[in-house]
Amino acid sequence: MKLELHRLKVKGLKFGEKTGFENGILTVSKAEILALVSEDPLLGKNIDVDIAMPGEETRIMPVKDVIEPRWKISGKGQVFPGMLSDVETVGEGQTLVLSGCAVLTAGKLVRFQEGIIDMSGVGSDYTPYSKTCNVVLVLEPSDPNMDKHDYEAACRIAGLKTAAYLAKSCAGCKADTVEVYERPTIREAMNSYPELPKVGYIYMLQTQGLLHDTYLYGVDVKRILPTIISPLEVMDGAIVSGNCVSACDKNSTYSHLNNPVIADMLKRHGKDFNFVACIVTNENVTLADKRRSSSYAAKLASMLGLDGVVITEEGFGNPDADLIMNCRKCEQLGIKTALLTDEYAGQDGASQSLADSCPEGNACVTAGNANEVIHLPAMKKVIGFAEEANVIAGGWNGSLADDGTITVELQAITGATSELGYTKLGAYTL
Amino acid sequence: MYSLITNNAELHHSVKSGEYIEGSALDVLIRVRSLVHSGSIVLTHTLCGNLRPNHQPFRSVIVDEIQGPVDLDSLSVIESAVNVYQSSPLITPDELDDGRRNDYAYIDAELMRESLKHYGLMKGENLCNASSLLVKEV
Repeated sequence: MKLELHRLKVKGLKFGEKTGFENGILTVSKAEILALVSEDPLLGKNIDVDIAMPGEETRIMPVKDVIEPRWKISGKGQVFPGMLSDVETVGEGQTLVLSGCAVLTAGKLVRFQEGIIDMSGVGSDYTPYSKTCNVVLVLEPSDPNMDKHDYEAACRIAGLKTAAYLAKSCAGCKADTVEVYERPTIREAMNSYPELPKVGYIYMLQTQGLLHDTYLYGVDVKRILPTIISPLEVMDGAIVSGNCVSACDKNSTYSHLNNPVIADMLKRHGKDFNFVACIVTNENVTLADKRRSSSYAAKLASMLGLDGVVITEEGFGNPDADLIMNCRKCEQLGIKTALLTDEYAGQDGASQSLADSCPEGNACVTAGNANEVIHLPAMKKVIGFAEEANVIAGGWNGSLADDGTITVELQAITGATSELGYTKLGAYTL
Repeated sequence: MYSLITNNAELHHSVKSGEYIEGSALDVLIRVRSLVHSGSIVLTHTLCGNLRPNHQPFRSVIVDEIQGPVDLDSLSVIESAVNVYQSSPLITPDELDDGRRNDYAYIDAELMRESLKHYGLMKGENLCNASSLLVKEV
């Protein structure tokens, strides 16, 4: 399987009559985007498209999802299969990427479960999406009494459609860089690098219930058994976020497309270890589902003869139980584990930070304490609705002060403690 | 017999079989623990997802209410949940204004929907009124 990512480096955004790309500037036609998005009868008349650049005194909130514009210029299928396009398998051919650009869906959805992105100031240091050139969709439902699930789906599709449209409109442009990824078959992988440990990746996806969902080829992941996926399929949008959960550690569609665990494992493949397979699994609510999925994911890892796995979590609370079950069951089968999670250790950092633990979980990486309090300065411009600061998770009644400043926990900042490691928090060697 | 133990009144009215607990999330867990002590099996995880105990005042747990020997897995899960809730500050439903209370009740119900369907406990499709979650003047 071979995938080429053709990257156009987006350094600036401007509105114009026709969407296109020239000299690093992405021109966005507001009329084209509005026409595209308003095709959906579930969305209302007061939809807006705005742009936000790094360094501007702009706050965007409440943000639901972040999506990187991609479009397949050759190869089977199309980006976001089963969601936006046909269900054909992706991950081969050539895919155009508008690097440095993101589409944000914003608006009042599940009000306390969306996030804040500041494009400058202290808040911008905590979100990776302050460094992207952002095209923001501010959405509303056509009927205020619309079913929440219908409205979530409409917002999700609007974001994906816009991202695909932007990239499609630039399909004739010559890429600034081309990255080539080639993955062996499992049979080839098994016979490669006999001196190196065989390592896999258990990729946990949030699937606790309606509005806490992730989709794989359009299939609701809560209904799957753990399965094997190529990292190259993930880069073509096989995994799409439908989540309305805490902003800091929900995996945006952007972070799935750019999963840094996959990126690093591909870089180190053949050097430090043999990266054999990626296993996707879910985080369901019933204990029977948790037991079934963790046993099955560990069994797949064992059947593949893996020596070790990296396990990433999404969200917190009872998903901590899934993380620990995956860890313990792999370790009991003789497979070493390294866990990637975040912490909810209270505002003072003194509380128990995970809801579950086990002695086998002795290699754990944290993406930070989501309860740490941060003071955000007032911004000249707010795209969306600033008053939502008082209701989003990580905020409280009074988070938004009269002068426009906001005091919240990191939980409210989109992507602040991403458990894929797509975050700006970390330990650095100086 | 499958049964929903909850302090979410609206959700309680939407299910075929269950027990309404007038009190906090911790009160729900303590009631579940009593049932486990007499042999019941916990069917859904006892911690909520993505909300800390001091953020989500509602808790709903499905149990298989039976009399018999103590199921040690259920005991372990419920004891650890009770510990988490006892060591955290809590909010109770009556501390919140109506809008917020409805938001949290709705999410609590939605996260139980799949499990309630799975165990055949839903009376109809509607679990909780979502009106407060929709766009409105603030």
